[in-house]
Amino acid sequence: MNQYVNKKFSNQYKATIGADFLTKEVQFEDRLFTLQIWDTAGQERFQSLGVAFYRGADCCVLVYDVNSMKSFDNLNNWREEFLIQASPSDPDNFPFVLLGNKVDVDDGNSRVVSEKKAKAWCASKGNIPYFETSAKDGTNVEEAFQCIVKNALKNEPEEELYVPDTVDVVGGNRAQRSSGCC
Amino acid sequence: MEDPTGNNPSDAPPPDSPPEKRFASLSLPPDFEIQEDDDDDEGYLTAVSRGGSITSATAAWKDDLEDADVAPPSPSSSGYAGERGTSLASSAAANDDPEPQPDDDWPRDKKHLHEDDTSASWRKRKKHFFILSNSGKPIYSRYGDEHKLAGFSATLQAIISFVENSGDHIKFVRAAKHQIVFLVKGPIYLVCISCTEESYEGLRGQLELMYGQMLLILTKSVNRCFEKNPKFDMAPLLGGTDAVFLSLIHAFSWNPATFLHAYTCLPLAQSTRQAASAVLQDIADSGVLFALLMCEHKVISLVGAQKAILHPDDIFLLSNFILSSESFRTSESFSPICLPRYNSMAFLYAYVHFFDENTYLTLLTARSDAFYDLKDSRSRIQNVLLKANVLVEVQRSLRESALRIEDLPADPSSQSVSPPPQFSQDVHSQLLSSEMAIGGPAGLWHFIYKSIYLDQYVSSEFPLIISNPKQQKRLYKAYQKLYASMHDKATGPHKTQFRRDEDYVLFCWITQDFELYAAFNPLADKSQAIKVCNRVCQWIRDLENEIFVYGESTLSW
Repeated sequence: MNQYVNKKFSNQYKATIGADFLTKEVQFEDRLFTLQIWDTAGQERFQSLGVAFYRGADCCVLVYDVNSMKSFDNLNNWREEFLIQASPSDPDNFPFVLLGNKVDVDDGNSRVVSEKKAKAWCASKGNIPYFETSAKDGTNVEEAFQCIVKNALKNEPEEELYVPDTVDVVGGNRAQRSSGCC
Repeated sequence: MEDPTGNNPSDAPPPDSPPEKRFASLSLPPDFEIQEDDDDDEGYLTAVSRGGSITSATAAWKDDLEDADVAPPSPSSSGYAGERGTSLASSAAANDDPEPQPDDDWPRDKKHLHEDDTSASWRKRKKHFFILSNSGKPIYSRYGDEHKLAGFSATLQAIISFVENSGDHIKFVRAAKHQIVFLVKGPIYLVCISCTEESYEGLRGQLELMYGQMLLILTKSVNRCFEKNPKFDMAPLLGGTDAVFLSLIHAFSWNPATFLHAYTCLPLAQSTRQAASAVLQDIADSGVLFALLMCEHKVISLVGAQKAILHPDDIFLLSNFILSSESFRTSESFSPICLPRYNSMAFLYAYVHFFDENTYLTLLTARSDAFYDLKDSRSRIQNVLLKANVLVEVQRSLRESALRIEDLPADPSSQSVSPPPQFSQDVHSQLLSSEMAIGGPAGLWHFIYKSIYLDQYVSSEFPLIISNPKQQKRLYKAYQKLYASMHDKATGPHKTQFRRDEDYVLFCWITQDFELYAAFNPLADKSQAIKVCNRVCQWIRDLENEIFVYGESTLSW
């Protein structure tokens, strides 16, 4: 995420405390968008942010480490957890993107999850787009985020006109003055 | 329909020219750095375009400070400044200097769009206001570009969400000098981050008004948008209303209506006000729900249809909306607005017409096709107001009718020793030199009187000793604190409070009928102060027919 927003990468392992928030402006098809990127913590002890935390997400990006089978195996849990918490109106078509990260490590020699295996998982979940990335050298990071924007916008509902009601005086819609709050 | 946009960015001077230009008279260095002095009011956008019709320097100076009620006494209008007791001789002399020239060009766009949460200047701001959606999308920020603050908004949402997740609600967080106050209104979150030492209750009340202002523009129907689509981006719906919110935030530091929940009237002879009220009543046929004649933020006359009661907060939010949106001044307008205390779910339509620089008529109706009817009504009203000389009287009152502490009638019991106050100025000043040596009678500097029954308040003009906006703001903050402590739900309500600190003696007295807030010289004697407060109350009772609007009459509609 830092690579994408700030073109920076920190080698130092730093556990995300709950969540990190970054913003990035992206141009997509001649329009400028502000991406609000929420990086939630992987550790279970940070799993307390709750339902409201995922509310209104436009896209969910799952990231695993191609050098760790456990991180790949956990993807199912993460995906389900997100769908439960965010409860999007159409869970089957909610946009996910999968990133296989750390492809740079050891020139790929320590890799344990193959591209084929990852793509098969994506296919089984309704053709989730897949990118192999390196946060360290920036490989595919830009491309992945362009895809994220595209997918997020795909689900954007048609803009509706904002037309509130008018006070109905005849129908006795008069709110009596309340002296309750403040 | 008029777009409420009052702020055309292309007309705005560069945002980084120093806004303190308006304090030029205080001889700040030209390179004065705003961040250093960041006064929490700094983001204020002047409400109005003043055109070229201001002729006297006095009026211009008052205008520059937004309001005659809180403007410093203008030395040239009463000639009074030179007659103060000797202890004030030097400051009085200083006032012989030319009037400060108002700077109509001071920056109107003071939102500092280049800032975000990584800027040192942004972090140093004394008072931030944020509105965001419950999915963390930014809707409004007082400083900086909302888009760039998306990450910060998400953080605020995460904090609220974290606490909600444990079945609780977050009210505020204290962090050293800073207080972060949260207000959750369904899908809308409002947050204030402040190091101004205002009370939690005070800041929360300000957030309530921010929410009310938002409802006035959009109604509570926005909630439906979030029900349909939690990702809903609400910011575009508020497009062009920055000036309204900046003016509201400015009002938090100068307009007592924001914490007293009462409105104030323009002092007028009873007959003049009756003439105005009679003609407002006369327009019942055009389907008017409320008719309001106002001068700046002061009510001249107010008439409502049967059973319809206008809440003081609605009056305040409506007048703030009208006064801060420049387009209302340029032509007659018809705009949908919502009165949150009357009916927060739906729109009314407001016909607005300015008769002059500061006097305007607002006719509220539920009929979206009433424009031409209301235009006719306005023209009838205008004829009567002109014939009865109301508009001229309004201007005269603006210039002359402020309540001055110096005019407080002497204690009837001591009249044998002190001459009655209505004297030639020479005698008057001699009398005052003893009494005024410490500021005013018994050291009285200023007061606000709120009639509980009428939901109206009056406040005295500021004396020289509290003549600059900063001092006035400090006094209002002290009043706000006093108000909060008097109305404290846990320990109150209280009846009286006498508090002395290095700046003032503050005295508050609450009865069934009124609330009195008074500020005295810090050396003031307690028993004298209480006596003077009794005199103030008597004085208000003597003047009540002129300074309050009575018998809020109803339209038979």
